[in-house]
Amino acid sequence: MKSSKILAMLVLLGVLVALPWIGGYATQRLMVEVFTLYAIALAWNLLAGYGGIVAVGQHVFIGIGAYSLFFLSTSFGLNPWLMLPAAVVITALFALLFALPMFRLRGAYFAVGTWVLAEITRIAVLNSDWLGAGAGMPLSTMMGITRWLRNAGIYWAALAVGVGSLGVVWWLLRGRLGLALLSVRDNEAAAAASGVNVLRTKVILWLVAAAITGLAGAVAYMNTLQVTPSASFSLNWTAAAIFIAVLGGIGTLEGPLIGVLVYFLLREMFSSYGSWYFIVLGCIAILTMLLAPGGAWSLLTRRRPLDPFGIRRMLS
Amino acid sequence: MLSLLETLINGLLLGALYALFGIGLSLSLGVMRMINIAHGDLIVLGAYLSSVIVLNTDLDPLSSLLIVIPMMFVIGWLLQKLLFNRVMGRDPLSPLLLTFGLSIVIQNLLQELFSADTRSLPAGDLALQGIELGGVNIGVLPLISAGISVLAFLFVAHLINRSPIGSAVRAVADDQETARLVGVNDRRLFAYMAGFVLVTVAVASVLYGMRTPFSPTAGPERLIYSFEAVVLGGLGNLWGTFFGGLIIGVAQLLGARIDTGLGPFFGHLVFLVVLIARPEGLFKAGRA
Repeated sequence: MKSSKILAMLVLLGVLVALPWIGGYATQRLMVEVFTLYAIALAWNLLAGYGGIVAVGQHVFIGIGAYSLFFLSTSFGLNPWLMLPAAVVITALFALLFALPMFRLRGAYFAVGTWVLAEITRIAVLNSDWLGAGAGMPLSTMMGITRWLRNAGIYWAALAVGVGSLGVVWWLLRGRLGLALLSVRDNEAAAAASGVNVLRTKVILWLVAAAITGLAGAVAYMNTLQVTPSASFSLNWTAAAIFIAVLGGIGTLEGPLIGVLVYFLLREMFSSYGSWYFIVLGCIAILTMLLAPGGAWSLLTRRRPLDPFGIRRMLS
Repeated sequence: MLSLLETLINGLLLGALYALFGIGLSLSLGVMRMINIAHGDLIVLGAYLSSVIVLNTDLDPLSSLLIVIPMMFVIGWLLQKLLFNRVMGRDPLSPLLLTFGLSIVIQNLLQELFSADTRSLPAGDLALQGIELGGVNIGVLPLISAGISVLAFLFVAHLINRSPIGSAVRAVADDQETARLVGVNDRRLFAYMAGFVLVTVAVASVLYGMRTPFSPTAGPERLIYSFEAVVLGGLGNLWGTFFGGLIIGVAQLLGARIDTGLGPFFGHLVFLVVLIARPEGLFKAGRA
């Protein structure tokens, strides 16, 4: 990489880290949403674009991640930031359990099957008094922390989630797993024949995507200080992730970056239009699938190939 | 004991309605190899169409089907022609994502037009009538809707196994490429199929609206129940879908006896357990 590029990235990162001293609380809270939703869309895109597995019920991991954090922190009076790794582990364990029925299904059946998972988990939480049932749980351990530190701390956590998840996915795709994934995506039978353990590859991907989503969900709900089953296990999360990935470009690392920018731009400008805003979002997704299934990134690179992340593999 | 029997019978009757939800999904999965995420939202759309007709004319919900059925046929035909056919055969994910977008559009259009309030179709005397059989009380309306569901399954099975259109449909389901070679225009066939699928949805939607209050966001749950019926029954097995629906209905009502809020939970649980124990579905895959 050219040194000017590295310098530009360091400056950008420096500005992002310094944001709590520059911007107000509203900006920080918006950026928490941007980074967490980016990570969720990245995880969805990792599954769909690189593993060929669509999860319509990915929001199940948002709820599990958020509830893990709230339950551990509130009931034992522990620092919420220290509980984030625990939330990741718990989400991954649930994902492992869920893999048992889910990987009996393929393609479209897998997609809707994950939705059943999200529903059954939501109903279970809704009926669990020890998790606060329908009213949900507050994050009472945030009480003693000053407003500035709380907002800045959550913002830095979200920044770490956004940058960290991109790093993890990038590292995965550059390595052996990335190569195995590409071969599975292109031809599953041929990949299996050349020694790729297809099921194992897909389960690893599923666990990584679940862990990222659970962490992002936990940080997203630190931002609101209250978690409820209907909001955290809501399809709206997955719908936003799908919109971001489809619009930006499924199966590219750049896609979710572009998608998340467009998504928040549209939201900040038009979300006051209520139903019409969602109708337009749905129409944009439909038109993208019809006219440019590769998303915005495919349109940008049609003329000249770009590969800022250096993960494309070419036969030369 | 008698009340348990009553729950069982009511579960079967509810399940017959879920099976009717699933019949269209089973057809699109079996023949067109696509899943329509907006399937549940189209059921809700059908109920709203019927509601508009009932409010503006003298027709009752069941006779409103005379108008709702042709309308839904045209909607299905157009959706397939304008949207679905363009993404089919590309990869299995494209139709899924496209119909996901469609689902969001339909839900929000309904919300914009009819507000988020629930409404229901007036069932009149039917809703109150019941017959007593050996101490067990059975509602007439659930009985009629289960009867219609059985008739719909008999009709679809006959259509697919015995009619000339059915043989073209079976040919495409078995091998799309070869069917094309022997002169089956699959795109045109799919458009008519999608229209027909929405005819089954229209019938299901009116019966559903007469039984249960509905709102613009009720669609996804209908999709999930239909989906569970189809997968439980074994893919590509039409009568399997019927029995799959019955199992989900019984599981939900038995579960609701344990705790009123947990009905659907037990439906989903049965689905997941069967998936682990018998991934190929409960019934051997046969002719669609």
